[in-house]
Amino acid sequence: MSGPVLEARELSIRFGGLRAVDNVSFAVERNLVTTVIGPNGAGKSTLFNLISGLARPQHGTVFIEGKPYRNAQPHQMQKAGLARSFQITNLFFDLPVAENLRLAAQVLEPKRLWTMPVSASRRAAEVVEQLLERFGLQDKAGYLAGALSHGEQRRLEIAVALACRPKILLLDEPTQGMSHGDTEHTAGLIRSLTSDVTVLLIEHDIGLVMSISDQVIVMHQGQKLAEGKPAEVRANPAVQTAYFGHA
Amino acid sequence: MRDALTNSMRASHVLALVLLAAGLMFAAFGAVTNDTFYLRLATEALIFGGLALAVDILLGYTGLLSLGQAMFFGLGAYVAAVVLIAIPSFWLAFGAALVAGILTGLIGGFIANRVRGVYFALITFGMAQVVAKVIYNTRSLGASDGLIGVPIVKINFGLFAVSSDNPVGFFLFTMAYVGALYLIAAYILDTPFGRLLIALKANERRVPFLGYHATSARLAAYVLAATIASLSGALYPMLRGFASPELLFFATSGNAVITVITGGAGTLIGAIYGSVLLTVIKSYVGSWTEHHLIVIGILFMLVVIFLPNGLMGVVRPWVEKLLARKTRS
Ligand SMILES: Nc1ncnc2c1ncn2[C@@H]1O[C@H](COP(=O)(O)OP(=O)(O)OP(=O)(O)O)[C@@H](O)[C@H]1O
Ligand SMILES: [Mg+2]
Repeated sequence: MSGPVLEARELSIRFGGLRAVDNVSFAVERNLVTTVIGPNGAGKSTLFNLISGLARPQHGTVFIEGKPYRNAQPHQMQKAGLARSFQITNLFFDLPVAENLRLAAQVLEPKRLWTMPVSASRRAAEVVEQLLERFGLQDKAGYLAGALSHGEQRRLEIAVALACRPKILLLDEPTQGMSHGDTEHTAGLIRSLTSDVTVLLIEHDIGLVMSISDQVIVMHQGQKLAEGKPAEVRANPAVQTAYFGHA
Repeated sequence: MRDALTNSMRASHVLALVLLAAGLMFAAFGAVTNDTFYLRLATEALIFGGLALAVDILLGYTGLLSLGQAMFFGLGAYVAAVVLIAIPSFWLAFGAALVAGILTGLIGGFIANRVRGVYFALITFGMAQVVAKVIYNTRSLGASDGLIGVPIVKINFGLFAVSSDNPVGFFLFTMAYVGALYLIAAYILDTPFGRLLIALKANERRVPFLGYHATSARLAAYVLAATIASLSGALYPMLRGFASPELLFFATSGNAVITVITGGAGTLIGAIYGSVLLTVIKSYVGSWTEHHLIVIGILFMLVVIFLPNGLMGVVRPWVEKLLARKTRS
């Protein structure tokens, strides 16, 4: 199918007098990594909330493969093929790592398995195994998610989002608080995902942004300041003033 | 690798078998000694165990504290009593309690699920108080005296029949009945739907992003628990020959919560152990002081402080380890 896989059109939300996201439009092409950057409080996470159905835009529409979603709820966006991770780790901390993944993968099973014991869910079990391996969590499968280290929890956070096999993956600062080595590894992982998903990323590490993004969107005070290839965006004087703090 | 949660449920089943064996021995002993009193008491413990089972589905699995679960228990008892007085058919009373449980569960769930946390607890409490007061003041339902004169009922299974006035027979029947409710609940909790309830307890905010409407799942859990409470309550008038407004009072709801926490929330079988334990303590303490509530209160505080996961919270992990070792070797 042609056309953008994800499109945001004139999304806006205000909290009291604050225009957290102000008339933001952009389109994301299939199997690319698009990164949203911007200073703290620019409205990046709020933008993700609007797209994923966590917050309702006061204005604007989200399109997935050309189909409009207005005021859709998170579970409806999931059905539409969208999954997300969170800036603040949002896992099932009291449940085992494997169960975190299995819960996220169980939507892949046909409806008739809904009333069968989970041991019948072969497909979900396969996905769990794959993700445990891909994210280096095999040894931790039986641990409670709350017992993992910060870096491991951040990896699980991404893996849980991936477990429902989404078309579009929104990652909100996936490498936040990770060690340098973990960050490099995660960057490679995100890059490798694009063979089957389209990634929309929020990231602060500029080096990482420049190396893994196909497209960069710059936000500032709720508005889209610039958009383009990483090098173009970096050379943009307005971006340099607003974001890098020098012209 | 076997699923950890499935393994925990298996450990509960092992403990259920232990309780079953004890129950059979108790029934044989009761038959030999021609006992009525203790068999009836044990039957009542199992019936209230069914109510505790419902509370555990909400509290231990879905993470919802219901302070009014006795409403459904009492409604089941009244519905069964009304049906039995008109037509003394067990299956008719059972069917009526089943339908009543589902319908009232849907209505109550729509109301209570609008809010969370403390407010949920308060609304469930309030709903039960209102319904209890209405029954208390309804003359045609016997008002404060309760609905008396429920006839002895013959429970017909085709090949054989059990009469509700046979202490051993009705005890064994109740054990099978509550056992079936336990198995149904255990089965459901091990399906993807049941795991969703466990996910709601663990982190409700993430559930919608897994592709599920959290409120619908919560409502389904509520209806399931209402139905199990109602079906448990349906046995009460068969045992005692009446249904009284006290069955819906807060004392009954609160007692069910205490039962679950003492037995071990989130273990399912803990509800039944808790009910048996509390009944034993009540009748034992009650034989030498009227103030058994004080003893229950102190015991409950001790459990919360020293065994925060309840009796089964101590015993079950031990059985789990045993099971894990067996599957490995
Ligand atoms: N629910 C809310 N109610 C009120 N204000 C909010 C709410 N959510 C976000 N905001 C405000 O909107 C602005 C944008 O917040 P947002 O979290 O989107 O920023 P961000 O770009 O993700 O920042 P960071 O890089 O720190 O994560 C902030 O000023 C924030 O305080
Ligand atoms: Mg943010």
